[in-house]
Amino acid sequence: MNTAKDEFLEILSNYQGILYKVSLVYFKNKPDREDNLQEIIYQLWKSYPSLKNHESIGSWIYAVSINTSISRVKRVSRIEYRETIPELPDKSNIIDEMIMTESFQLLLDAIYNLDELDKSIMLLYLEEKSYDEIAQIIGITKSNVGVRINRAKELLKQNFKK
Amino acid sequence: MENNELQKIWKTINAEINQKSKDELNLLLKSKSNQTINKFLIIISISIFVCVGLLVYLMITSLNRQNDLIYLVNNATLGIITLISLISGLLSWYKIENNRYNQPLKNWLEERIYILSKWLTGRYSKLYLFIIPLLYALTVLSIHVYFEDKLFLEVINTEESIIGLIVGTPIGLFVAYFGARKIRKYQLTNLEFLKDLHGRLCNL
Repeated sequence: MNTAKDEFLEILSNYQGILYKVSLVYFKNKPDREDNLQEIIYQLWKSYPSLKNHESIGSWIYAVSINTSISRVKRVSRIEYRETIPELPDKSNIIDEMIMTESFQLLLDAIYNLDELDKSIMLLYLEEKSYDEIAQIIGITKSNVGVRINRAKELLKQNFKK
Repeated sequence: MENNELQKIWKTINAEINQKSKDELNLLLKSKSNQTINKFLIIISISIFVCVGLLVYLMITSLNRQNDLIYLVNNATLGIITLISLISGLLSWYKIENNRYNQPLKNWLEERIYILSKWLTGRYSKLYLFIIPLLYALTVLSIHVYFEDKLFLEVINTEESIIGLIVGTPIGLFVAYFGARKIRKYQLTNLEFLKDLHGRLCNL
């Protein structure tokens, strides 16, 4: 195995939680999450040479993971499928076996009701990223981040209470 | 509910994530790379195989019909359009598939919207409406004239040929347009989705 790939796998291994959580937020079903996880890994590897241009590894991983997930979420075949057969989220696991608490499941259900943009912003907020980091990952201003977070938080709380 | 209560709930998942080993991650990467390379090779191979096959056919039939100028013009036009279509088709496909995800969401959206808009609504976006029937007519004529073993003008002046073209053309065009429309519809839906996201990102 070459050095660059070794380094990449080391980074991936340390930050893989991000990939799972982004997939969890955007995809309700295990097969979709697994496909997405694999696609993110591949896209990260493809853009690995550009990592040196990024200030933080975490931001780079979030950006690639979110952009990849958004690009996959609207695949027409899946939309058609979802329109005909109501999709039920897997309550019990992400990728591998994972047990979610009831409150986590409620929170996740509330996140599923947000749009793709708010999902990414809420995910970064829940991950306790600073406004600077969120602005860098999403590509908007810090003040814009603040407004969006407040709005998404309100929506989330409303969904959470339902 | 306190703001950080949501964050506390969210954090509970960290302990539950089943971390994969480096070998497992490497296996996932390898399998995805192979899938992507295979998809790429299949599309490239089929496109090149069909086009080269058509070009070889055009060359052989042209060599056998050197005395029929209109037939030669028909085949030459078909060959040139086929080559240009192959090259521009592969380039467009590469551009669309080659996503640069390693940038902020807003920049990525803008880049994708630009590429898709150029392809779907740009100056040459409706060219396929003209190219498909032209390619179809030239191919059908080339095959039909060659196997009739007569001069181009003689063949297209017969009643049978005209009826054949009238009956066959709508069927062939329907299949071709159906495929092209399906791809465009998918990409247009995608473009609208990206524009909508970008619009919401820019407008507070």
